[in-house]
Amino acid sequence: MKKFYLIIAIVAVGGIAVVGFALRGGGSAASEPVDLGDIANEDLVALAQGMVYGDPDAPVTIMEFGNYQCNACRDFALQIKPQIDLAYIETGQAKFVYYDYPHPGFPHSFLAARAARCAGDQDRYFEYHDAIYSTFNSWSRPESPYGHFNDLAEDVGLDTEAFESCLDSDRHADVVTANLTLGQMLGVPGTPGIFIHREGEGGANRLGGFRFIDIQQAMEAGEAN
Amino acid sequence: MQPESAPATSGPVNRMVVAVLALVGVFLTFYLVAYNLGWTPPIACGAGDCGVVQSSQYAWVGPIPVSVIGLGGYLALLVLAIMGLQPSAARSRAIPFLLFAGALFGVLFSAYLTYLEAMVIQAWCRYCVASAILITLVFVATLPELKRLRGS
Repeated sequence: MKKFYLIIAIVAVGGIAVVGFALRGGGSAASEPVDLGDIANEDLVALAQGMVYGDPDAPVTIMEFGNYQCNACRDFALQIKPQIDLAYIETGQAKFVYYDYPHPGFPHSFLAARAARCAGDQDRYFEYHDAIYSTFNSWSRPESPYGHFNDLAEDVGLDTEAFESCLDSDRHADVVTANLTLGQMLGVPGTPGIFIHREGEGGANRLGGFRFIDIQQAMEAGEAN
Repeated sequence: MQPESAPATSGPVNRMVVAVLALVGVFLTFYLVAYNLGWTPPIACGAGDCGVVQSSQYAWVGPIPVSVIGLGGYLALLVLAIMGLQPSAARSRAIPFLLFAGALFGVLFSAYLTYLEAMVIQAWCRYCVASAILITLVFVATLPELKRLRGS
């Protein structure tokens, strides 16, 4: 019996060591906002880079503060944004800039935002952005979406090894956190939060809605001025 | 002397084996529980698609991760096996029955999960495969309990 308890003790110590190591070493994917410390406002704005779609020199900027786990953002991405692309982005009148606004109440939204930015490292941000929203129902559940995000990387044609290594780290966690903080400073009331900024004008105007007609009216109002 | 003493020693030895294997299963499933509960978001998976399997709907039974069921099962088998090693349990009918029935349930449940991996999810999680092998070994190790049940 002594031998048996010795074996049990060895297995127990070995198991604790292996699991302890795996929990510490294996799990480093940042899935929550990180502490940015006492960051100055100008540094925060510089860090909070949105993802640009369209001509970077276009005179008008249509900004969205979006949350990958919000239904309305999905509808905006899949139904409204294609109309914006057709009417304003492809014609060079405006560029679209996506800022992350991962509410703390949406457990997977921060990881989703980081996943999209990991795709952005391979210059496929908006393809991945669309893929996340298109498969919203498949991953927006209590289970971890980690495997789904890796699958999407393959579907989009990314270098999956590089993507996985990025997702497993805390890469872009500071930028996504800065996006969220910027949105909070700007008073984004909910998502999608749409702002329009025209070259030469001071601040950006927040739109009351996110329908295509809201954007159309704001664009036409700008042309009239 | 030999024919009489053999059953007495083979019983406890098989329970020792069950206890050691169940303890390994406890650690294995604890790691998966930690993953399912978000303590370790990216699963360390060198080969296979652990993330796909663990993110699938089959990784949960309602609000409970399947890994929690596995952890509970291995813990129960560990406790039963150690209880069965005590001299006071020598004549117990409950312990052989529960050990065998628990291992049988475990191996059947594990076979079902392996079927899901192969045919439905079409992805393999090495931890789940390891658990399937482990519970099969546990089941084999509990076969002498049948003899004990018939003998008592």
